[in-house]
Amino acid sequence: MEKLVLFIPFIPILIAFSLGFLKQKLLMPKTSLIFSSSVAMLALYGTYHVMSTGEDIYGFGGLLVFNKLSAILVPYVAILGLVIRKYSTKYMWDEPQYKRFFILLNFIFSAIYLLVMSNNLVVLTIAWQLMSISLYLLITFNVESKSAIKNGGWTMLIHKLADLFFIIAVVLTYKTFGSFDLSELSQIWLKMSQDGSANNPIIYVIGFLFLFAAMMKSAIMPFHLWLPYTSEAPTPVSALMHAGVVNVGGILLNKMAFLLLLTPAVLNVAFVMGLITAIVASLMMLAVSDIKRSLGYSTVGQMGYMIMEVGLGAFSLAIYHLMVHGIFKASLFLESGSLINQARKSPNIEKRLSSDVFWDEKPQYNSKNMFRLIAIFTVLPVIIFIGVKFILDEGFFNFNASVVILAFAWLTGTQLFLSFFEVNKVNSPKVILALVSSFIIVLFTYEVVGLALEHFLYGEHGTLFYEAATLNVTMFMSIIMLTVIMIIGWMFTYRQHYVNVPVGKHTPSKEKWFFYKILAKEGYISDMYVKYFKIF
Amino acid sequence: MLINFILLFLFAGVPYYIYFEKTKKLKREQIFFLSTFLLLFGIILDSIFPQEISMPFVIVAFMSSLFTLYQANKTTNLYKLAYYVLFFNAPILIMFKPEQSVLYALSLLLTLFGLYLIAKYYERSYGSANYQSVSGITLMTPYAGLFLTTYLTALALYPPFPNSILFLHGILATDMNAILYFIIVVIFFGNFLIAARVMAKTVFGKPNDNIHYIDLTSKEKRLHLALVIVLLMLSIVGLKEVLA
Repeated sequence: MEKLVLFIPFIPILIAFSLGFLKQKLLMPKTSLIFSSSVAMLALYGTYHVMSTGEDIYGFGGLLVFNKLSAILVPYVAILGLVIRKYSTKYMWDEPQYKRFFILLNFIFSAIYLLVMSNNLVVLTIAWQLMSISLYLLITFNVESKSAIKNGGWTMLIHKLADLFFIIAVVLTYKTFGSFDLSELSQIWLKMSQDGSANNPIIYVIGFLFLFAAMMKSAIMPFHLWLPYTSEAPTPVSALMHAGVVNVGGILLNKMAFLLLLTPAVLNVAFVMGLITAIVASLMMLAVSDIKRSLGYSTVGQMGYMIMEVGLGAFSLAIYHLMVHGIFKASLFLESGSLINQARKSPNIEKRLSSDVFWDEKPQYNSKNMFRLIAIFTVLPVIIFIGVKFILDEGFFNFNASVVILAFAWLTGTQLFLSFFEVNKVNSPKVILALVSSFIIVLFTYEVVGLALEHFLYGEHGTLFYEAATLNVTMFMSIIMLTVIMIIGWMFTYRQHYVNVPVGKHTPSKEKWFFYKILAKEGYISDMYVKYFKIF
Repeated sequence: MLINFILLFLFAGVPYYIYFEKTKKLKREQIFFLSTFLLLFGIILDSIFPQEISMPFVIVAFMSSLFTLYQANKTTNLYKLAYYVLFFNAPILIMFKPEQSVLYALSLLLTLFGLYLIAKYYERSYGSANYQSVSGITLMTPYAGLFLTTYLTALALYPPFPNSILFLHGILATDMNAILYFIIVVIFFGNFLIAARVMAKTVFGKPNDNIHYIDLTSKEKRLHLALVIVLLMLSIVGLKEVLA
């Protein structure tokens, strides 16, 4: 009975084919929804089975597996798929090629399920590439749009490069270890890490190839351009891209976690690249003028955090991060549809959403007390948090490194919060309270869920990753870094929003303008692509 | 040595199409059929007299392949494109072992035959096999768009079509060195660039108001469907081979 779960990747293909024969437009979303509901049910059943028995479900001669990673990710993808399909039913109704859209959507979901559930490198390669081509066809769904096709071309090119790195990594893996079976390979890698017998430099090459393939699909800098520039795709596709497709890098690295045990240098590079991406993308998010591109850079930044987490050995936390971020970003994109709908009805932006209100109601005094209050409210919970952790269990400190990342993540969240929501002198204490409490909630949730996930996914081997990631940060350093980051963050926010800056008289220095121009033009990378790489 | 030399010629490792193009002794579709026939003959010969990889011949084929890549990126004629793709893939056919070479050649020929049929359809519907200006066929002629997308996807080495699976199979079975890896990378990207460029100008784009679009006939649809099914079956065979 439980083997039925292994048919999950094939159900969307079945839906796609059955849609091909349907003539009535109304039946298309219905068929898609009914079958994808069955996928969600099967996924939940599989998760229940794995959790209750602790046994993985193998099938198709060991090519597919519903293991602990699948038990977490498959229901997530299935429910996300259900929401996106339901949303698309009405959103895409007036679009030409309605049937084609649903067919392509089902193909990409099939590829994602196959990728998550594959237990064989060949199957993983097929799923990896299937996702690239399905994504390309979805991004260029609006076939008449020149920019959609051009940006789709760039997306395809970067993904093709990721495919190439992946294929070479698979070939080298097979030639070095003599197997395609991921369970078997994981055992070999674990044994090698325990024996200390990983002396072959090819292992590092394999590790780097998998890392770069993952970075390209997860839009890590400098391979990020495909994500911010593909916002012209239909909204459900954007939601899927930001909540599902970009996550495959993290999924791949989790599948290859035991290989990365043998390659600490790869983890270190992942940390550095993730850090650079997180900082630069967050800055670009604030500087670019296009709101959709800004959201794209927000996702790039979050993927940077995710790769950083992997680089620090917090593999399970990366999974949790990608899921939480995926839900958040999908909601944002899907909500944007109704906002557009509202805007169509009333073309004038409501005054309460306008930035004019913010400037009008900006406090006209320098509130140093307010700043001190914020600093206390921020640092105090962290100290309490560390204290609670210390009392509970010293082992909790394995996550110190991730606490630093969380601080970054939270700062991005804060910036978003302050940028997008109404902030004025009347409700600023409420905002502070909301931000501080959200920080504590995020911190505790990440800590508890992260640990629970780690025990669930990797059991006793969880701590090995932190040992392999030689960049593990000590408790003291964590507190120092966290406090510094928080203070800088709050100073930035404070200067931005609470210091009295007369509107219209603010003239930034030449250096600031130069810095701002580089950020706003996205480092001129896209211009360079357009000028020097005229392929499409 | 002699067999290697003959195979280099038969596997389209030498751009002999230049002669026919310059002298116009053969039509474009005839050049396609000639190269196809010679390749089939080469496969048979290679199966009877299996040869070790000869690096000089691979390098000669690769040089020819680079020239063909340049030609393929200039043309807008689907017949020409079909045989250019075949010539471009010659180094792969020479460097793979006979078993892998046969399967890859078969999948390539089937896909190119599909492209040839599309070229014929273009000729019938729009007067020539030139795809310039006949853009946006996905919207205007969905079946032609679907099958052309399928063939170009297969040529761009994407699964579930056999070309990509057998390409991987061939690399796995070959004793690779740095030069062969370099050739693999170029062929992998070259195939993709050729297909992506054609896709952007045919399948996508704004439909041309000055053209009366005509979709595939029922007979053509059945033929293409059969071809796609054969390709998918070959994918299953390829997958079994890789996993074996």
